[in-house]
Amino acid sequence: MRILAAVFWITSSALAVTPAETATLKKFLSDYCVKCHGAEKQKGDIRLDDLSGDMLAEGTRWSVIADQIRRGEMPPDDAKAQPSDIQKKAVISWVHAQLGAHAQRKPNLGNLVPHDLLFAPASSEKSDAPAARLWRLSPEAYTGWVDQVGGRVNGIVQPFTANPERGIKDFSSLGRVDEPTTEILLRNAEAIVEKQTGTRIEDGKVIGKNDAVREFTDLIKSDASPSRELLTKAIDRQFQLAIARKAEPDEVQRLLGLYEKCAQGGDHAGALRTVLTAVLLRSDAMFRAEMGGPDGMLTPREAAGAISAALMHKRDGALFNAAEKGELTTREQIAAHVRRILDDPKIQKPRLLGFFREYFEYDNAPDVFKDEPKDLWHRPEQAVLDTDRLILQILAEDKDVFRTLLTTPLTFVNVKTGKNKETKQEEFQRAQVPNPQNQKGKAPIESLYGLTDWTPQQPITQSPGTRIGILMQPSWLVAWSENFNNDIVRRGRFIRERLLGGTVPDLPIGVAAMIPDDKTRTLRDRVTNTTKDERCWKCHQHMDDLGLPFEQFDHYGRMMTADLVLDPEATSKNVNYKGVPQGDVYKPAPLDTTGRISLTGDPKLDGAIKNPHELLMRIASSDRARQVWIRHVFRYYLGRNETLADAATLQAADRAYLQSGGSYKALLTSLLASDSFLKRRVGTPH
Amino acid sequence: MSEVRLLNRRTVLKGLTLGAGATLLGPMLQRVAAESAGVIPLRFVFVVQSNGIDPNHIIPTGLETRRDKELFKNEETLTVPLADRALPEPIADLTPFKESLTLIQGLSGRSSEGGTGGHSTNHGALGCYPGSAGPMAQTIDSALGDAQPGIIRHVGLGVLSKPDQTLNYLISCAGPGKAMPLQCAPENSFRALFGSALGGGDRASFERRTHLLDFMSDDVRRARQSVTGDERTKLDEYLSALETLHRRQGAVDAIKPRLASNVPKLDERFAKPTEVNRLQAQFEIATAALIGGLTNSVTIASGGGGQNYLSWPDLGIPIDGHAVGHGKGVEGLTPPEIHVKVRQFHCKLIASMAAKFQSIREGSGTMLDRTLIVYLSDSGEAHHPNLKQWPVVLLGGMAGKLKAGGRYVQLPFYGAKKHRTLAGLYLTLLHAAGRPRESFGVPDTGLRGIDQGGIISELLA
Repeated sequence: MRILAAVFWITSSALAVTPAETATLKKFLSDYCVKCHGAEKQKGDIRLDDLSGDMLAEGTRWSVIADQIRRGEMPPDDAKAQPSDIQKKAVISWVHAQLGAHAQRKPNLGNLVPHDLLFAPASSEKSDAPAARLWRLSPEAYTGWVDQVGGRVNGIVQPFTANPERGIKDFSSLGRVDEPTTEILLRNAEAIVEKQTGTRIEDGKVIGKNDAVREFTDLIKSDASPSRELLTKAIDRQFQLAIARKAEPDEVQRLLGLYEKCAQGGDHAGALRTVLTAVLLRSDAMFRAEMGGPDGMLTPREAAGAISAALMHKRDGALFNAAEKGELTTREQIAAHVRRILDDPKIQKPRLLGFFREYFEYDNAPDVFKDEPKDLWHRPEQAVLDTDRLILQILAEDKDVFRTLLTTPLTFVNVKTGKNKETKQEEFQRAQVPNPQNQKGKAPIESLYGLTDWTPQQPITQSPGTRIGILMQPSWLVAWSENFNNDIVRRGRFIRERLLGGTVPDLPIGVAAMIPDDKTRTLRDRVTNTTKDERCWKCHQHMDDLGLPFEQFDHYGRMMTADLVLDPEATSKNVNYKGVPQGDVYKPAPLDTTGRISLTGDPKLDGAIKNPHELLMRIASSDRARQVWIRHVFRYYLGRNETLADAATLQAADRAYLQSGGSYKALLTSLLASDSFLKRRVGTPH
Repeated sequence: MSEVRLLNRRTVLKGLTLGAGATLLGPMLQRVAAESAGVIPLRFVFVVQSNGIDPNHIIPTGLETRRDKELFKNEETLTVPLADRALPEPIADLTPFKESLTLIQGLSGRSSEGGTGGHSTNHGALGCYPGSAGPMAQTIDSALGDAQPGIIRHVGLGVLSKPDQTLNYLISCAGPGKAMPLQCAPENSFRALFGSALGGGDRASFERRTHLLDFMSDDVRRARQSVTGDERTKLDEYLSALETLHRRQGAVDAIKPRLASNVPKLDERFAKPTEVNRLQAQFEIATAALIGGLTNSVTIASGGGGQNYLSWPDLGIPIDGHAVGHGKGVEGLTPPEIHVKVRQFHCKLIASMAAKFQSIREGSGTMLDRTLIVYLSDSGEAHHPNLKQWPVVLLGGMAGKLKAGGRYVQLPFYGAKKHRTLAGLYLTLLHAAGRPRESFGVPDTGLRGIDQGGIISELLA
């Protein structure tokens, strides 16, 4: 195993552990830890005497060590030997430094960089440009690329997969093109070229199809071998389509060489298609480069590509034109383009909503399989669309965005847009209309929001005490529920990680996370009585109390006035005339929506809470929560986790947001024109 | 200089997805030579199913079953012949192959702990290292593919809950950081494996494809000069993929007739991509790829990795395995009954694959004598496993190198002096496949003083 780990050390030598560090760490462990977590004894099943400092293999254990020391939980108060503050700090910062480099690359590990340090004024003085990188197209960007290159092409298979199961998905370190992917890329490229070169016969003559590329079909039409000039023109055209630039002379030369080889049998059309396919398979078509120029700034073309990719799934023509003219060399020019794109409603910017989908993950709602209840028409797909619309509305207002996301009383209910048949105007229409027969006895979607009738006056303002913000949207509640119950623990984890900036270790092995299935008790009762066990509580104290307030809703997202528990007596009597049981009968139980914010390190946040409204109102006013949200915005648009070197960027983004009265556009503009986004470490040229 | 770099790249990429291109043709020729000399390769099929295999599911009738997670208590290995016992209901479909069947109880795999939320051990199941560590080292399916290289070193197939999830990266790994995708859309795997055998493409288009792949390899080789470190590794992977495709072109061409005569007909299954149909399709594709001589190592994952669970509406189980694992049943079926039903379905598929192999004469026996199907779960013995037990079913043989089947082998329990781990099983397979190693994966720190390296002699002939 050590040999395997060594392979990683070579590629990221910054991570190597010096002998002096090893000695210090060994001594710390043996002085303060090993007595209870050593070869003889392993309290809590944790053993630390065998650690070597190999962050790749031991990362989880090291982060637990740092975490426990930081929180003052270990060594325990009654231990005789206690490390000094200086010793503790040394170990914590060593672990963070090591993890930082590793964690920068993996989604969902971003919070390991301590929040207080990131937003400390002193940290903003440090700035070290990130390394040059290649960023493979995301699955959506690939689709956009195909569309720009070939229009609608039949038979395209998605070659790329977004890997992480939760949270922000498109990290630049993850994108890869392996063998099965290449196989698909090859077939797709051939399909695209087939379309680009499509011809048909009209009046006995071969002519190019309307949706084909003329430079290509002109060559295909004729039986004669095309001139070098026309071939070069076709190659140039394909370069423009695939990577938005002309081909360099040597690139043309090599492709002409390929043409010659393929045309030997006399099939000129086949040879041309092969050459056109080759351009589509270029590595710079699949990987967007951010190498930086001699001054360390992204080159104008790189910047054009980066800004395009940050906001949309296609290349923005104006950006590339600007790059062509030699613009996009200053922060101001780039910021101006970002503003232009953000302000232009005609430019599709799917990555605006994209962030919120990955951050809140409400779009998972349709993936949570549920039995359709007898008394509700459960349409999670529509709930997602309604939340999409609400977020776009909040972004359009662009005021105090973070607070509004968490606390807005507005909501859209079962809305789609359509043309009014008479006025021919766009208007809101009822999206899902129940069928009186199929949905007999089921409450319509509107009932979730306390409406008796659908209204075109949208968004509606919900009455005080009902729902506020995204976290009380039915879509979010369903997405963060289980098949049969609310998911108190994962909801709490969401708040801990994405709003409070904390970390929760993954479920340790050997733990059977079985909430008793005793329906005569409320879920709150069952969960809290299971996880209060000392072994569970160590982790669950970070989650449960934050998730409990959402017991205000059932797992379909319906607002509750009472909890429900099984009534065994009534259930046993619920039989038909033949004595066949007719299902469970529930009775009301007192509804408890209390919870607690704790362990945030921020006294303004910590404390008891009565209900989800109080929870969200308090978080919405917190500087820390806002900054944690900004950290997530950073990760989405920069495709990596923040490090201490990004402190200045994050602090400036936070300032820009506050000074603009909470404008998401201002926040984004600040991030996309920051050093972290635009500068790259000037490396040794290869 | 560039030669040195190339060498370095190849070293780093050794064992990359489907094998390092440079050495691919070599083994293929070796294989052709070997076959004509009468030496036939060994083949391996790993069937990895999510949600655990309950130890009781593999205890032959008449032997005592265990309560949930209760350990066996034998200090010595207990071997029971299957000949005069019926197989338990969950795996009864394997009865026709009783003589080739070894049911292994009592292995542990605690070093694979820490996958996703205490569920799957991810790569740990086939790699014997922490599931939370990511793809940190080569998994056994890939290692055995290297030991018995086919035209394609390793074929990974899978099924995920949504038909449009095309790749599962959480089970197989070709080396540090090299997770190998399992192709989860049967139509894609079908086309990738049999496309060239089916395609009526003429010689000229075949040659153009060869020129193209050659050109692209050169193109990417140039591009990689301008980047370093991890970014270069990204291009190296693309380059290696192109090189592999390039070389495979020729190799597949050579076995085209044999391949073409084995192509499965799957149109109906493609038309209705339910979980049942997709898994059946993947089994048939795997069977055909092995018979056709494309590969000697296949992994089929049913769900698996992370929290990838499946529901089986076609079997009357519309809720997913996660809900079942947490104690939910459906009308008429309790969770344990659901586990049995899903197990039976998988055993049916395994049985029909084995039957195909058995029907093919090879050397003095059948193809099944040289093909080993290893059936296990990526989450050991349960939905939330403690991994002190990891039931494994072996079906088939390794040309007599493994002890004959027809046995239930209950190894000493976790904590007993002679206890063995899953790594021991994998070391035994590597040994029998001609690639012995001293250790595999990461040792279990809880098993001090217990042999975690070396083979399990009870399994070797």
